Amino acid sequence: MDAPTRAQTEAGIPAQGARQRRPDAIRPDDLRAEGEPWTWLLGGALALGIVMVLGLLLLVAWNGATTFWPRPIEVVTLTDGSRIAGEPVRSQAFRPGPQIIAELPPGIRARIAADGGIADRTLYRTGNYDLYGDDFRWVPDFQRSAAERPGDMVLIERLEWGVFVGRIVGFTHDGERTTTGDPRNPALEAAYRAARARWAEIRRIERGEIGTVNHHLEAERLRLRRVLLGDHPPAEREAAERRFAAEEPRLTAAYQRLAAAAQRLRAENARDTIILQEIGGREVTLPLSAVVRLVRANDMTLTEKIGVYLSRWWEFLSEEPREANTEGGILPAIFGTAAMTLLLVIAVAPFGVVTALYLREYARQGRITAFVRISVNNLAGVPSIVYGVFGLGFFAYIVGASIDRLFFPEKLPSPTFGTGGLLWASLTLALLTVPVVIVATEEALAAVPRSMREGSLACGASKWQTIRNIVLPRAMPGIMTGLILAMARGAGEVAPLMLVGVVKLAPELPIDGFFPFVHLERSFMHLGFHIYDVGFQSRNSEAGKPMVFVTTLLLLALIFLMNIGAILVRNRLKRRFQGSQF
Amino acid sequence: MSATTIIERPAEGATVYHPKTSEAAPAVSVRGFSLWYGAKQALFDNTIDIQSGMVTALIGPSGCGKSTLLRSLNRMNDLIDGIRMTGSISLMGDDIYAPAADVIALRKRMGMVFQKPNPFPMSIFENVAYPLRVDGVRDRRIVQETVERSLRGAALWEEAKDRLNESALGLSGGQQQRLCIARAIAGDPEVLLMDEPCSALDPIATAKIEELIDNLRGQYTIIIVTHSMSQAGRVSDNTAFMYLGRIIEYGETSTVFTQPRVQRTQEYVTGRFG
Ligand SMILES: Nc1ncnc2c1ncn2[C@@H]1O[C@H](COP(=O)(O)OP(=O)(O)OP(=O)(O)O)[C@@H](O)[C@H]1O
Ligand SMILES: [Mg+2]
Repeated sequence: MDAPTRAQTEAGIPAQGARQRRPDAIRPDDLRAEGEPWTWLLGGALALGIVMVLGLLLLVAWNGATTFWPRPIEVVTLTDGSRIAGEPVRSQAFRPGPQIIAELPPGIRARIAADGGIADRTLYRTGNYDLYGDDFRWVPDFQRSAAERPGDMVLIERLEWGVFVGRIVGFTHDGERTTTGDPRNPALEAAYRAARARWAEIRRIERGEIGTVNHHLEAERLRLRRVLLGDHPPAEREAAERRFAAEEPRLTAAYQRLAAAAQRLRAENARDTIILQEIGGREVTLPLSAVVRLVRANDMTLTEKIGVYLSRWWEFLSEEPREANTEGGILPAIFGTAAMTLLLVIAVAPFGVVTALYLREYARQGRITAFVRISVNNLAGVPSIVYGVFGLGFFAYIVGASIDRLFFPEKLPSPTFGTGGLLWASLTLALLTVPVVIVATEEALAAVPRSMREGSLACGASKWQTIRNIVLPRAMPGIMTGLILAMARGAGEVAPLMLVGVVKLAPELPIDGFFPFVHLERSFMHLGFHIYDVGFQSRNSEAGKPMVFVTTLLLLALIFLMNIGAILVRNRLKRRFQGSQF
Repeated sequence: MSATTIIERPAEGATVYHPKTSEAAPAVSVRGFSLWYGAKQALFDNTIDIQSGMVTALIGPSGCGKSTLLRSLNRMNDLIDGIRMTGSISLMGDDIYAPAADVIALRKRMGMVFQKPNPFPMSIFENVAYPLRVDGVRDRRIVQETVERSLRGAALWEEAKDRLNESALGLSGGQQQRLCIARAIAGDPEVLLMDEPCSALDPIATAKIEELIDNLRGQYTIIIVTHSMSQAGRVSDNTAFMYLGRIIEYGETSTVFTQPRVQRTQEYVTGRFG
C-alpha cells in the first residue's frame, strides 16, 4: 500500500465518523425528517384523553371522599339583623339582579359597580326543612355583617326532614324534663343510647319477626288459594280450608303479640325527647330515637371528626336509604348492582362461548357464517333502551307471564315473574353484552396455535376432546377479557334496567332466609339508577348532589373491583401458558 | 442395467425403485396417491411401500410435498379446507381413506412428532398421559407405568422424573421435542411419523434424538422427514427422494446415497442443488 492511499483511508474514516456523529444528522429533531410529521397529533390526542379521564376520576374521587367529612357550622348575622346558621358549602361569583341592587345602600352599590356588576355569595346548608321549607340558602357577601362559629351549635341527622341545625335546649327522659344546652350531658347521652337501642329493637321485631309471621301467613293463604283454584276433590279442599282455619288464628295471634311488643317500645320512645332550638328561636321537639347522629360541628377533636366520617361511611354502605334516597345508605343498590352483574356474567358466559365455539370450530366458514358474524357485530350497536323494551316485552310479559300461569297461579293477578325483576334485568343485559363475548371468544379461539390442535388430534383425540382439553383452556384468558368487557359494560348500563326491574326503592334484598333464599323475581336497586334518581328526581337537587358523587365513586369502585378480580383470574390463567423457553 | 448408470431422463412420473434386500413386510402402502390444495396439485401419483419396523427417510427440496405426504398418512390434512385426494393409502392392509374408516382409531395407531415441539400447557406427566386420557384410561397404575416407559423410551426420564408435575413449557427445546416423542409413543402406535423433528434443535439435542430413533428402530415403523442428508444417512434404513410432488427414487439409504440412478437425486444428495 502506498502512502497517499493510506493517508486517504486514515483521513476518510474519521471524517465519515465525525459526520455521522453530528447531532442533527443522527437524531433528527424535525419529525418531518423522520417521515412522521403527525406523531405529535397522536401523542397529543392520547394526552388529552388521559387528562380528561383523570380529571373526571379526580373530580368524582375528591367530591365523593369529602362528602362525609363533618363541616363547621357558621352563624351569620345579616345586615338586616337576622341570623342564619348552616354549613358553608361553596362560594361563587354572581351578578345580582337590578331590583336587588336598587335596594342596596349606595356604598355597596358603588363597590359592585366597580367590580363590573359582580358580587360573591356563599351557599349555606341550613337544614331545618320542616321550618324553612328549604335546606339551602345563598347569602350574598354584601348582606353578611358578621360570622362566628359558636361551640354549642349542633347538626342533627334525623330520620325525617333532613338535618337540623341549631342548639340543644333540653331533653325529657321518662317524661321528666331536664334543661341543658350541653350536647355532652351524660344523662342525655345515656337516654339517647337507650332510645336508639329500643329503636333498633323495634326495627328487628318489625322487619325480622313480624316479617317472618307475615311470610308464613301469606304462604298459608296462597296454599289455600292454590288448592281452591285447582280441581281437587272436595275432601282435599276441605282439608286445606281446615288447615288454614287452624293456622290463621295462630299466626294472627303471634302477629298481634309482636305488634304489641313493638308498640310498647314505641310508647317508651315517645317519652324520651330532645328539645332543640333553631337560630331564629323556634323550638322543635324530636323523639330521641329519631336522632340518627348528633354532630357537635364546631366542638370536635380530630379523632371525633374521623369517627363521624367513618360512621357516616359505614351507614352509607350498610344501611337502607331514607328521605327519598337523599340520606341513609345504599346497601340495597350495591347489592343489586353486584348481584345483577354476577348473574349477567353467569348468563352471558356459556351463551357467548358456545355460540363462538360453534361459529369458529364447527360451522362451515362461508357466506352464512359471515352474515351471522356481521349481525352479531351489529347487535352491539343497537341502543340499549331497545334491549330494555325487548326484555320487558319478551322476558317479563311473555316468558314471565307464562311462568306465572304455570307455577304461581295462586298469586295472580299480582305478577311474580311477569314483571321486571333481577333475573329479567340480568338476562336483558346478557343479551346486550353477548356480542362482546362472542367476538372476544372467537378471536381467542382463532389465536390458539394450530400446532396445539394438531398435537392433540395426532394423539387420537376427537375434535371435542381437543377443544375441551387444549383449545378452551388456552383461549380462556381471551374469553375472560371478553367477559370483563361485558361485565364493565353491563354494570354501567342504566337505561334498559329502568324497564326491566330497577326501582327507586327496594329495601328488601333479593336474598333472605326464606326458601328459595335467592329471589330472582324481585325488583332491585341499582347504583346507576340511584345516581339518576338522587341527582335528578329528588325534591332537592342540592341535597342530592353529594350523594351523586359518593354513589358514583362507589359505582366506579365496584366496577373497578369486579374488573380487578376478573383480571387477576385471567392473569393466573395466562401464567400457565408462559414457558421459560422462547 | 448396472446400478451405477445414471438415468438422465426417467419416464414422466415414473419412480425408480431399487431392489430391496430386507424382507420386512410393508406397514404403510401408498398407491397412486395424488393430492390437491384447492386447484393446486401438491402430490402426483405416488406409490411407495414403507417397510415395517424400519426407519424410512423422506428427503427432497423445500416445497416438494414431504410434509403433505406425511400428513396424508394420518389424515392430518383432513383439517384443511378445499383438499382433494385420489389413490389409496393403507395401514397394515386397512384402507385409511375408506368411507367407514375411523380417523381417531387410525391416528391412535400412528404417533406424530412435529417440526416445532408442541407440548401442551400442562404438566410433563399430563402431556405424556394425554393419549391415555383421551382414550379414557382411568387406572392410575397403568397411566403411571406408561408415562414412565414412554419417558424412558424418549430418553427423558432421568431429566424429568423429579419434575413430572411441573409445566412442560419450562423444558428446554430439545427436552420438549423428546417429550413430544414420549407423547407420541405413549399411545403405543404402530407407526411413528416425524416431520423434521430436529430442525429447531442444536447439534447435541439432535444427536440425542437420533440416538433415540436408533433405539426405537424395530419397535416402531418410523417415517422421518429431514433436510439433513447426514441425518438421513445416519438414522434411516430406506430413503425416498421427492421432487415437485413426486417420489423420484426410493431404496435402501446406502444405495440411494451412493449409487443413485436419477441425476436429480445425485445432485440433491451430493448437495449440488436443493
Ligand atoms: N395448506 C396448504 N394450502 C395450499 N398449499 C399448500 C398447503 N400446504 C402446503 N401447500 C403447498 O404444497 C406444496 C408442498 O408443501 P409441503 O409443506 O408438503 O412441502 P415440504 O416438502 O414439507 O417443504 P418443507 O421442506 O419446506 O417443509 C408446497 O408447494 C406448498 O406451497
Ligand atoms: Mg415440511
